[in-house]
Amino acid sequence: MDNITTSNDAIFDFAPYIIVLCIILTVSIAVFDLLRKKKKDKQTSENSCQNDYYTIDNKDIHSYLKKVCLFLSRYASKLIQYGATTIRIEKNIGRIAERFDTVVEMGVLPQHIMVTLWDKEHLHSYSNNEIIKSQGVDFDKNTLLSKLSWEIHDNRMELDEAIKRFDDITARPRLNDWTVLILTGLANGSFCRLFGGDFISMVIVFVATICGFYLKNSLHGKHGWDIRLVTIISGCIATIIASSCYVFGWGETPDIALGTGVLYLVPGVLFINSINDLINGHHICFISRFINATIITICLSLGLCLGLIILNIKFL
Amino acid sequence: MIIIDLLENSLFAGIAAIGFGSISNIPLKSFPGCALLAAIAHTSRLVLMQLCAWNIIMASFVAAISIGLLSIPLAKFWRCPAEALSFPALLPMIPGMYAYRAVQSLLICLQNKEEISFEHYFNLFNYNCMICFLTMLMMAVGVLLPIFIFRSSSFSVTR
Repeated sequence: MDNITTSNDAIFDFAPYIIVLCIILTVSIAVFDLLRKKKKDKQTSENSCQNDYYTIDNKDIHSYLKKVCLFLSRYASKLIQYGATTIRIEKNIGRIAERFDTVVEMGVLPQHIMVTLWDKEHLHSYSNNEIIKSQGVDFDKNTLLSKLSWEIHDNRMELDEAIKRFDDITARPRLNDWTVLILTGLANGSFCRLFGGDFISMVIVFVATICGFYLKNSLHGKHGWDIRLVTIISGCIATIIASSCYVFGWGETPDIALGTGVLYLVPGVLFINSINDLINGHHICFISRFINATIITICLSLGLCLGLIILNIKFL
Repeated sequence: MIIIDLLENSLFAGIAAIGFGSISNIPLKSFPGCALLAAIAHTSRLVLMQLCAWNIIMASFVAAISIGLLSIPLAKFWRCPAEALSFPALLPMIPGMYAYRAVQSLLICLQNKEEISFEHYFNLFNYNCMICFLTMLMMAVGVLLPIFIFRSSSFSVTR
């Protein structure tokens, strides 16, 4: 198949101003964020609310099942939020349930996780639906929660101790935002190189990624904007900045810079997880994750198209 | 020259894996494992495509299987789930330029009124979409196969 080439003849005269405007916009949002920085300890308040679940002292079997089931449903919900595959969640909660001499069954819906806990004799049961909140993939907490399941199983850990450890793990901070920002910029710059981009393209992609990724983190993470809208905006800004190679005539590989500028937005882990769920037979979870990944991909493509239309970049 | 090219690709694939892994907050101690897997996989895909003239779909599938196979012993060494190493290591192999060309072709396709040009760019759009989708699908299947085959060891590495 013939490759498409791009002409920079039709680019609007005001394109450089738009690029500068995008960078100024990103920097000003960063400054704004720094100025209004308020540390809201959501994790602590969330945990303190959740702890009310477990203050049941009744020793009968129903209360026992309820207590364990509430812990397991919360554990499973957190794992799915952190990007764990359904097979891992099944194994982990099965292991924990075994420690408490119970049997667990699990079903995953797009917004909820359903956990049913039985006693060994299948005489009593308790079911609970837990909401799946949207949170970023977090392999660190995923790892620690998996370890915790083994510790509970192998050391015959008490439920209260397990809940305390679980709360400690979920309250752990993520990697520093600025470190992630720089690493993502470097990653996308390297990605550009892997596709054959030159050094100038790498630098432009690095800047475009940093601006776009910062906007994504700020607008979605700090200001709570919808992830789809944020992906379009972030993709559009990254495309406009990545098109600097065309606008200013820098470097030999402007096409690669433009193409790789938005790739940090591709929901790769979500897509792989969905295939895993498909293989594992959790088809509803597969469809849910696959649709989410597709929507994000469509949004980033829209952002890319919008950036190209704003600057009037024509393809030949 | 080929060796220098391969080393350069390995280096950048490693950096890309660490960077994309950091978005998913992979454990700090598993950064080297992630970079190592990405470097091996990307280099093997490059060798298969350039020296053995394989197409990108099959080369990515074999490279993804190598990531899946190697991730289990490495996960045991770093005591973290195999997915935490293998998924970020897979991301530098995403066929990004095909995805970009698909969007490009779609835009031109929509701008063209002549039937011949429209069909040409529509074919280009389909071709790029197909390659992109199948490569990603085979990558995902390739990396998950070893995890499912060696199910008992891959789910007990954090013990």
